Amino acid sequence: MNNDKTLLMANGQPAGDEIMNKSAEKFERFQREEKIHDVEFKTEAVSYIKDVWRRFKRDKVTVTATFIILIIVFMAIIGPGMSKYDYLEQNLALKNMPPRIPVLEDIGILDGTRVLTVQVSNLDNYADCIVKELDRFTTSSAFGKSEMAKIKVDIYKQRGAEDVYYWFGTDNIGRDLFSRLWQGTRVSLIMAFSVVVINLSIGLVVGSICGYYGGWVDLIIQRIMDVIWNIPSLPLTILLIMLFGSGITSLVLVFCLTGWMGTANSVRMQFYRYKNREYVLAARTMGASDIKIMFRHILPNAIGTIITSCALAVPNVVFQEAGLSYLGLGVQAPNPSIGMLLSDGQKVLMDYPYMILFPSIIIIALMLAFNLFGNGLRDAFNPNLRQ
Amino acid sequence: MLRYTLQRLVAACFTMLVIIVVVFFVLHSMPGDILDLSPKLDPAIRQAMLSKYHLDEPLIVQFGYTMRDYLHLDFGYSLKVRPGVPVFDVILERLAITIQLNYFAAFFILPVGMIFGITMAIKKDSLYDVIASSVVILLISVPSFVLAAVMQYYLGFKLEWFPLVLATEHKLTWTKFYSMIMPILALSFGSIASIARTLRAELAEVLTMDFMLLAKAKGLTYGQTITGHALRNACVPLSATFLYLFLGVLSSSLVIEQIFGVPGLSKTMISAINGKDHWLTMGIVIFYVMIGLLMAILADLSYGVIDPRIRMGGKKDE
Repeated sequence: MNNDKTLLMANGQPAGDEIMNKSAEKFERFQREEKIHDVEFKTEAVSYIKDVWRRFKRDKVTVTATFIILIIVFMAIIGPGMSKYDYLEQNLALKNMPPRIPVLEDIGILDGTRVLTVQVSNLDNYADCIVKELDRFTTSSAFGKSEMAKIKVDIYKQRGAEDVYYWFGTDNIGRDLFSRLWQGTRVSLIMAFSVVVINLSIGLVVGSICGYYGGWVDLIIQRIMDVIWNIPSLPLTILLIMLFGSGITSLVLVFCLTGWMGTANSVRMQFYRYKNREYVLAARTMGASDIKIMFRHILPNAIGTIITSCALAVPNVVFQEAGLSYLGLGVQAPNPSIGMLLSDGQKVLMDYPYMILFPSIIIIALMLAFNLFGNGLRDAFNPNLRQ
Repeated sequence: MLRYTLQRLVAACFTMLVIIVVVFFVLHSMPGDILDLSPKLDPAIRQAMLSKYHLDEPLIVQFGYTMRDYLHLDFGYSLKVRPGVPVFDVILERLAITIQLNYFAAFFILPVGMIFGITMAIKKDSLYDVIASSVVILLISVPSFVLAAVMQYYLGFKLEWFPLVLATEHKLTWTKFYSMIMPILALSFGSIASIARTLRAELAEVLTMDFMLLAKAKGLTYGQTITGHALRNACVPLSATFLYLFLGVLSSSLVIEQIFGVPGLSKTMISAINGKDHWLTMGIVIFYVMIGLLMAILADLSYGVIDPRIRMGGKKDE
């Protein structure tokens, strides 16, 4: 820490004038090779990433959110194969079956029953599969008074499928909703991740070029972005889907068309902020190329913001795709997505509420987990922003 | 200020022009024919109709005709969705219900969101704040259509408190308003949550500033310091959101409109696009773009009005 030319006093302070003026023989030279009686640091050096990781795992909510995401992703990978039934396999004899799960049915939930309202005279048709009679009442209609009964019916028994278990029930053409749900989650997540990756790559390149070079390049790209930004997204989306058809690829394209601009803008701002710093000037003086300055010296400053916005973009894509599905513009028919399942369930909401229940739970869990995860990341990367 | 406004207006006109060009050519390059009415249609009649609407001429000439009409503020007629009705009238007619829904929602969102935001900021880190913050995160994460489905099933179907879909009456009566409550609620919760969250963050930051201490020192009551000094500063970043509540007729209400059977403007646009009713589509798109551009300009100007420290038209990036 001290070079050998500096004169030091016993307490380590540099020598003052009055000492300097004293005769030289009273001092001894302090050499670098000699042992310095100083306490060595026992702690490890903490890198930025390590620091972020430490803050990240300290927050219990974020860790829980991460686990939920991992579970959903895991289920999306293996879920469609877990059930005996393929997600495309139809069985018209067993359509609209309520959910039935082996252990839970013994304690009375998800036990494959439905509450039906039938005329008392028809009760015999259900004789052997009535679980419980809930209520009797009379209604009057144009055909006179009729006595009605509210009964809880074991649908599986009624259809003669007592050894069949559809964990989440079946839809209106008898497809297993369990494998459909996880297949849908898989499709939605694949779409979301590819959108994020594409947006990130385009946004990074365009944002870096705009921010680093500035001037007329920046001006022109900004004007183009202005125009795209101001086209109302809904008509644009519908037009593009009608042009390209509503496959997964074209949906990804539609989401990317405007999505990359957010990343591009934040990257651009980071470049404007850092490109005139001394250390960048130093790097340039040492002969670093433009590419190296951009990606090695400036971009790492923006890494926190970028990763956070990516985490928050995933649920957004899932949400938007679900919205489009409601309008009949989602992924194509036999292939499910979370949005497709939701909008299919919405159509039969009054009769078969379980059809919308499970996809709703998954989309809420996904959105909640990713939002919390994103917030946790933001706090970890930039503790000053913690609110 | 005036110079800046003019600059922005000119830029907006340019953007508008580019969008009109893009949308026109995308629309007309869509597969299918405007006049695919019936295969039995006499070719002569078909030809006559095509030439009446100048559809047999090159696209660039058609574009010329369209632009000339637009310059005279003539937006043409709807061909299929509402045959023979001027596009302008269709938009006005369908806009009414969308505006009603959005305004009722806005008048509900604003006070509720503000109250939650303010109380959360004042009682920061208390039990109330923790619970309210969790609810806010939950509401932000639950998609509006899931909320709509839950309400429709429990409030509408099981408890029978509210009608399941919108009443069909044209005038705004009590029955109609009553049937609008569920869509309004479904539209509101997400916005309430995001306003409350932003306001809480901003207000909590302002409350720690030195000028708040000064306000207290010169003898203002706690309420006065909050309303007079803190709130005004905290609202600057929110002004765009407030504006958007009232001007953003587009918003995200399309799915909600679909679920509750509201015959709104966005639904008309989808049927216009599906039915290749190009002039109606163009009219609606132009309307949306105009609203969007004006809103962006107004939002930028409002920053300057609310907070005079923000200078307009200076260097953008620093």
